[in-house]
Amino acid sequence: MKKILFPILLVVLPMLSQAATAATQLDTGFKIGPAIILISMLVLFVLVGFLFRARDTADFYVAGNGISRVGSGMAIASNWMSAASFLGMAALMYGTGYHGLAYVVGWTGGYVLLLILMAGQIRKYGKYTAADFIGDRYYSQALRTVGAIIAILISISYCVGQFGGIGLMFSWILGVEYNVAVLIGGSVVLAYTLISGMLGVTKNMQIQYVIIIVSFLIPLFILTYKFDYFWMLPQIGYGSLVSDIVAGIPLNETHQLVNSLGQDFAVVPSPEYAMPWDSASGQTFFQWIAIAFSLMIGTAGLPHVIQRFYVVPKSHDARWSVVWGLFFICILYWSAPAYAAFGKILSASPEVGKLAKDAIVVYTAQLGNLNPLIVGLLAAGGVSAAFSTVSGLLVAGASAFSHDIYVKVINPQASPSRQLLFARLATILMSIIVGVIALLKLALIGQLVAVAFSLAGCTIFPLFLLGIWWSGSNKQGAIAGLIAGGLVSVIALTYFIAEKYGIALPAHDFISYWLGAWYFAWLGAPLALVVNIVVSNMTPATPIEIRKFLIERVHT
Amino acid sequence: MSDDYNGYHISFFRPTTPRAKANRNIVIWLASIWAVSIFGFQILLLVLEKPTPEPAYLTFQSVWEDVEDNSADKVELQEFGKSALSVLGKIAISDKEKATLENALSWSIYQLTPDSLRSALIARVQGFEKIKAEIVNISNPDYVSARNALSKELSPVLVLVSNDVRRNILPLALRSSSMKVLTDDTKVSLPAIMEKYLIHNQSVLTDTRFLGFPFHYFYTAVFLLILFVGLCWVYCVLVDRLDERLKTVE
Repeated sequence: MKKILFPILLVVLPMLSQAATAATQLDTGFKIGPAIILISMLVLFVLVGFLFRARDTADFYVAGNGISRVGSGMAIASNWMSAASFLGMAALMYGTGYHGLAYVVGWTGGYVLLLILMAGQIRKYGKYTAADFIGDRYYSQALRTVGAIIAILISISYCVGQFGGIGLMFSWILGVEYNVAVLIGGSVVLAYTLISGMLGVTKNMQIQYVIIIVSFLIPLFILTYKFDYFWMLPQIGYGSLVSDIVAGIPLNETHQLVNSLGQDFAVVPSPEYAMPWDSASGQTFFQWIAIAFSLMIGTAGLPHVIQRFYVVPKSHDARWSVVWGLFFICILYWSAPAYAAFGKILSASPEVGKLAKDAIVVYTAQLGNLNPLIVGLLAAGGVSAAFSTVSGLLVAGASAFSHDIYVKVINPQASPSRQLLFARLATILMSIIVGVIALLKLALIGQLVAVAFSLAGCTIFPLFLLGIWWSGSNKQGAIAGLIAGGLVSVIALTYFIAEKYGIALPAHDFISYWLGAWYFAWLGAPLALVVNIVVSNMTPATPIEIRKFLIERVHT
Repeated sequence: MSDDYNGYHISFFRPTTPRAKANRNIVIWLASIWAVSIFGFQILLLVLEKPTPEPAYLTFQSVWEDVEDNSADKVELQEFGKSALSVLGKIAISDKEKATLENALSWSIYQLTPDSLRSALIARVQGFEKIKAEIVNISNPDYVSARNALSKELSPVLVLVSNDVRRNILPLALRSSSMKVLTDDTKVSLPAIMEKYLIHNQSVLTDTRFLGFPFHYFYTAVFLLILFVGLCWVYCVLVDRLDERLKTVE
């Protein structure tokens, strides 16, 4: 096999390189090299998905509990490392400097909470989905249904940002309009999810993780080497770059270091890039804290993240899979700020013009004059990151509909094949809804995804936290807490949407600042917890069988 | 609460089994370290920070009164133009702010040009603007040569030294249409723009360098992530030991 592959590679790679060199520019022309890499990657994903496809509902939902903890850690990382991590995080730091680090901290720190408060216990509870847990723990079919609907809303909200990222990258590679790119990319990811289901997804996620991280790191090593920073560990090497941005980089009279457009690697002193809550960023200390906090508790309430703990055999494995998952995630999160810093300097000249922030990772590699194949690999990695997350989200959403609403509420006698059919129908419907919303381009990818986190933080997180750790939390308390958290969410999102359409609501500035769409969970989550506790104490106690179950199964 | 329920009550803060007690203590310790490390450090940054102006802001402040009164001398006009260029070189400025800064820069260059050469200056800038509007690629040789020539010609007017990055920005920021007058709008909005972009929250934590980074940046972008992985690892090890000690079987 190797004897055949090697000559093929020898012939194909230079051809690819030549084709890509001719086509790759900052403009929107069709780029054949990156397109071939992307298509190859997608074919690989579909093949792997097909080989490990779901054969029944248990496989479709949770991959039959047969994944090792390192493998599960990789799947957690891949599932997590979405377009928001791959593209959006650098975009936020590129645009708002130190403020963007609130997203880095928020999207990693939440795993500590998830581990120490929930991971093992969720696995011991032994339910398939978040709604399953809610319905069971709070002994209410209505809450199960509401939980499923919330899980679907969160999945949709999260997917919108991913579709945006897929659209941007498809648009860049194929040289088509954003709207067309969203339709093409959305159709491909839908087809892939329908073919594979969760088992295929889990296997794919391990492959996707490797592709994502390799495609993200290789350009970074080259950039740091090329621009004379400590390239052996670029995650540390870019520190000097940040300091250089703060102090300014003078012109090099020999013009040795230039970007792909021939502009000097130089910048005026720009302390606003690194200084905390700088007025130039338009962001405050409160917003930094509120975003980090909301993202962290949102992490511990996301259905598709929680669901990952069911694919490991024991709670011990669930715990260790978090450690591995977080470590794998951090490799990318240590690296993303470096792209933003390089992007800042390489696009510093007014001649470069305004770049789409969400594509700054790819533009940075282009402006750094890297080999077009490497840039293409990076773009394909971005698509892969979005794909891996979208698949998990669509499965989580489909599970919520098929398992928690259709089977548990509407038709308990449904056959496994009918369940699978409904899961797939739900996947298609969700994809259509997500695609339509993605076309509206409501905000940056990272910000759109942050909405899903706040929504999860206000609704699912309090139910899980109290449901696991306090047997006194009862159905009435859960309903009241959910109403409180939901109300805060509705207010914040109403003001956000009104602003987008130019409608001025009462106290607009006040609400938009204190309940921003990316961080309203800072208020919603604590409020939901307090209301749940107060109402639970005022109403009949939790049934004895639930208490017994908590003691004997979850906390023993 | 009924007595029947007393034996079956789970509360994080009132654990009833040795394992639950030990787990609670581990969680409280780790959560405290987690919270203090994240939020405590940001609060410390807030407490220690002081608004610190860039040199360009101090220069602007020292000349602004005379510029506003139209009584600035040559050196003051040069410093004024350079301070406007310092902000124009930053990426995050809005289009409206950019227009204000371009007016300030273009006007200062115009004022620094002898009367007899002002018409020629406007013609030169207009010529460059025409080339710029016509090209489709910024590596166009005519465009590059016109840009470099304009930079070379006008940089001495502002006394920009040879390695000053503002030399590259100068020709791109000149506007022939806003050279003659420093508009009222510019006079009103310029001080706030300069303050917004040239004053920063700095402290010993931001000014100290660690592994090349500003210390606070290293702490937040690198160290906190290491700490998170470390906390997770410690938790798993401690719970594994606890399970081993208590012979917990799943």
